[in-house]
Amino acid sequence: MNARSDNGPAIEARGLVKRYGDEVVAVDGVDLSIPANRIYGLLGPNGAGKTTTISILTTLLEPTAGEARVLGLDVVKQAGDVRQRVGVTFQEMVLDDELTGRQVLDYHGRLYRMDKAERKAKTKELLALVELEEAAERKAKTYSGGMKRRLELARALMTTPEVLFLDEPTLGLDPQTRARIWDYLRALKEEGGMTLLLTTHYMDEAEELADTVGIIDRGKLVAEGTPQALIEEMGADTIHVIGEGDREAFVENVSALPFVQAVDVGRRVIQVGVDSGSKRLVEIIAQATDSAFAIQDITVAKPSLGDVFLKYTGRRLRDTDSTQTQHRMLLMS
Amino acid sequence: MAATATLWNKQMRKFLANPEEMFGLLIQPILWVVLFGVGMKSMLSADMPGSGEPYVTFMLPGIVVLSALGGAIGGGSVWLTERLRGIVKEYLVAPIPRLSILMGNALSTMTKSMFQAIIILIVGLVLGAKLSTYPLGWLGGLVLVAGFGLGFSGIALSIASQTDNPGAYHAMIMVFNLPLLFLSNALYPLATMPTWMRIGSLINPTTYTIDGLRQMMFRDPAALAGGDPLPLWLCWVVVLAFAAVGMGLAYAAFRKSIK
Repeated sequence: MNARSDNGPAIEARGLVKRYGDEVVAVDGVDLSIPANRIYGLLGPNGAGKTTTISILTTLLEPTAGEARVLGLDVVKQAGDVRQRVGVTFQEMVLDDELTGRQVLDYHGRLYRMDKAERKAKTKELLALVELEEAAERKAKTYSGGMKRRLELARALMTTPEVLFLDEPTLGLDPQTRARIWDYLRALKEEGGMTLLLTTHYMDEAEELADTVGIIDRGKLVAEGTPQALIEEMGADTIHVIGEGDREAFVENVSALPFVQAVDVGRRVIQVGVDSGSKRLVEIIAQATDSAFAIQDITVAKPSLGDVFLKYTGRRLRDTDSTQTQHRMLLMS
Repeated sequence: MAATATLWNKQMRKFLANPEEMFGLLIQPILWVVLFGVGMKSMLSADMPGSGEPYVTFMLPGIVVLSALGGAIGGGSVWLTERLRGIVKEYLVAPIPRLSILMGNALSTMTKSMFQAIIILIVGLVLGAKLSTYPLGWLGGLVLVAGFGLGFSGIALSIASQTDNPGAYHAMIMVFNLPLLFLSNALYPLATMPTWMRIGSLINPTTYTIDGLRQMMFRDPAALAGGDPLPLWLCWVVVLAFAAVGMGLAYAAFRKSIK
């Protein structure tokens, strides 16, 4: 399936910038290099530049500066060739819902000049894959949100793309449907040999699916690695502390401890990365007492991708208040 | 070409699957001919001043053009909806020429206008309009209307590419629609107009469309024009240029909107 002449990355970007006017910088120098047959998860809060990045890679937008290649093809100069070989699903529902499910797939195939027999076979196969056979003759406007998403996924797969771009593929779906979509996506990579780039602001989605995660914030890629490696950087365990009193002193004292690998200060929660949570709990509490900091709640947890995200962006993913200023300290061991 | 045909086919399929839209599109021109035609006729005491032709003969091309204008406005509306709902993005990531996306829309609008034109002519015949006896002339007339429809579709698509607000679109399109219709020979003859209006009408492509229609589809065009008709070749040149300029505007606005 992956008819590549060389063995370069499936997706690469160098110094990608997208500016609107003089003020707004949506993407601010993003570099990417994604090998073939991987799932890459672009993780970031709303407005971080995820959709703009995907729009450039799928030829919808031209970058202000920098360059990008998909399957070795320049997304500006060889846009037509890129379009022929990639599949895309958009963040918002993009369906002509006056058409039936089958018609949606058929017209899509026609736009890509697939012949009738090919379209028929592929439609049948994909309707079965996304389990929409019974709804195939109904207008898409009668579908539930999850069914529409599955139909969009089938449409993106209609042309047997080598690279699939998915912008928030499970946004607003119930847990069951999300799990099912994850299964499809995994199978596309494992069995179909596809390369997938998906954006998400769900931590579990990135952790569940992605071979590599890139964290994007304010148009910049701030961290990249396997979910496992990123989490390990946080320390073996994380101790979450909530309390009142002299936070500054507490943070300072805790940071000075030899076994502490990272300290991240959120609006409420202070995260302390340590080598072993259960062993160090007592010493952290002792520091609090010394710093006149009254602990209200303290828990030990294995760090998650959410903790990684908080560390790099200073924000929780679900935070809506992006203007909050946060004191942040990083101690990388 | 293939992409234009596909998008045309899709719009037509949606149209044929929508009985309300079909009903509205077919009934509107009939209402115009019957209500407006009969009302004017009673006022004008049967025949046009200065000619022996019934008013219904005179105004049929006007109603054909009016319907084409209405169709193009509807086509622009469809385009705006597709833009706002993101459906255009599906076309944009497909390996098809940008122009074919607009052409698919404009050609489906034109096709609907052709249906309407045929219905209008049939209703006109029933009401006593005097058509020419040359089928080739009828065909030429339909092609001329198609060219005019393409031009105004272009204007509608260009406005619909520049706004994100359906209300603003409809307000803007009326600024073009009304003078195109009323500052022309669609409803009253050039010969009876005050000079300023005649000059306005002569820079309006609608006038050339209608004059061409009268010459190709109707008997006694000189009588209908209330004087010498415009040269037929000029009618063709103006209408084809209008089609090209309209689609050019639409294309430019569309390219700008996807930057």
